[in-house]
Amino acid sequence: MAWKEMKKNKVKFLIVGSIVSLISMLTFIISGLADGLSQDNVSLIKNIPEGTFYMSGDSNDSYTQSHIDDQKLEDFKTEDEHSFAFSLQMGALKTQSDNQQSVAFLTATETPLLNTVKSGEVILDRSLKDEGIKIGDRLSSPQSEETFEVVDFIDHQKFNHSPVALIHSKDFNRMFRTKEYQLIYSEETTENMGGLQAFSKSEFLSTIPSYQAEQMTLNMIVWFLVVISGLLFSIFFYMMNVQKIAMYGILKALGIRTADLFQMIWSQMALITMTSLLVAALISQVFQVFAPDTIPYHLSVSTTVQLSVVFFVVGFLGSTLSGLQIKQIEPLQAIQQGEA
Amino acid sequence: MSRLQLEQVRKSFKNGDTEEEVLKGVDVTLEEGEVTALIGASGSGKSTLLTIAAGLQRLSEGRVLFNNQNLAEWKAEQVRKIRAQHFGFVFQSSHLVPFLTVEEQLSIMMDIADRRGIKQEKQKQIKKILDEVGMSHRRTAYPSSLSGGEKQRVAVARAIIHEPSILFADEPTASLDSNRSRETMALIQQVTKTQNMATLIVTHDEQMLNYTDRIVKMSDGKIVS
Repeated sequence: MAWKEMKKNKVKFLIVGSIVSLISMLTFIISGLADGLSQDNVSLIKNIPEGTFYMSGDSNDSYTQSHIDDQKLEDFKTEDEHSFAFSLQMGALKTQSDNQQSVAFLTATETPLLNTVKSGEVILDRSLKDEGIKIGDRLSSPQSEETFEVVDFIDHQKFNHSPVALIHSKDFNRMFRTKEYQLIYSEETTENMGGLQAFSKSEFLSTIPSYQAEQMTLNMIVWFLVVISGLLFSIFFYMMNVQKIAMYGILKALGIRTADLFQMIWSQMALITMTSLLVAALISQVFQVFAPDTIPYHLSVSTTVQLSVVFFVVGFLGSTLSGLQIKQIEPLQAIQQGEA
Repeated sequence: MSRLQLEQVRKSFKNGDTEEEVLKGVDVTLEEGEVTALIGASGSGKSTLLTIAAGLQRLSEGRVLFNNQNLAEWKAEQVRKIRAQHFGFVFQSSHLVPFLTVEEQLSIMMDIADRRGIKQEKQKQIKKILDEVGMSHRRTAYPSSLSGGEKQRVAVARAIIHEPSILFADEPTASLDSNRSRETMALIQQVTKTQNMATLIVTHDEQMLNYTDRIVKMSDGKIVS
């Protein structure tokens, strides 16, 4: 009966489905943009597998103030051979045509997660290739007299919304007048590492200035949208069924089981929601493929599935709420209302 | 043979602080193959009596005997099953499901009555009933394209498709003109005989009494003749 109603009232159900699809697509795309911005901010850290980040105890939870001596690094290497140390500093690089680009200078001990680079060389995030920088170009640092030859590009390595410039530790130390690394990363959590502070990946991300504030704002936008969309979903399904209360009452008078009415309500809700969510998910994933690189957009399948489940549950609750009202309606009341 | 017996049925409603008795000990027996008409002025209690007999509302006192079992003592789910399988309903408005074709209206009623059976047999039964009510030519039509008289014919067909023991009709001609009213009443009388049902009909229209076998007149919650 549910399918027959949908077949007869194609336009009505198509409109409801389109609205559900558009609302969910809006949520998917905003979520993709939020996640894209988050990736754009700290993709360097996000691309490192789950593990523990260590800062010195006196760093006040700020990686810029952290300094870890070589001995500590050796201690880590004996515990976990995959651990590595790294340092980050914001700066700039100038092309031969005096075009200046903000970059996040990165240096690290040897690790399979990052390419190796020799002194005088730099590996850049691929976004700088779009700015016209090529392999073999020579870039200089405006704050020192260092020059670097571009030897390679790497994908999705950004920090503080700036492309990463991976340089050798000797160059880094000379430029920023330091001898020690700021951070150690280890796949394992090691207890009592002599005054070092341990942070999980998410804890470390929240110590990065601006990241937490930006994420809180973006998450609030996304969840606010999810709540509004969810409410709209449930109101849609509620209204759709409440309009038919008289008809359900007559069917109850004829002897239909309330369970059959619930089945009808749920199957319509499930069909509309699943089709609409599928269309919305497909369009938002296609948008990911064709979106210009200048738009930071990242919508993972898991985020799409999570949001879809939320919308499905909310739609289910909305239709169940109307079902409960239908359960309470007296057949006699429906007959009398219909004849008034 | 009696199909339904109403014994000393009383029904009271609370109206603020006072209790109003709408039915004051009514006895009615519905016999198979007979159309029983309930007549009386508005507020005499005839519609209340019909809905109690049909299991659509509870009585305050008395007994409703169907197959020697007192429906008044049954749970709502048991009464629903009886309604679905053994009772048929024709209302003042046809109350057809707007998105189902004429034959689908009958098919869904067979499903409700758990008379699913083999598809071919179901189709045969639908064809037979549509022929009986003269609506075979409109079997694929939706309610929106039917006239008032046609809708009531389909409503009668839906009420008898599952071969109920009792047909309840609450002012089935109220929304029809006199010609269509006569046609509908003749149809109800005809199917009552052909299907050997007991029919209880509430009507205001005295001209329709020509199509009934027995007349029960109510006044102020009591049977007066």
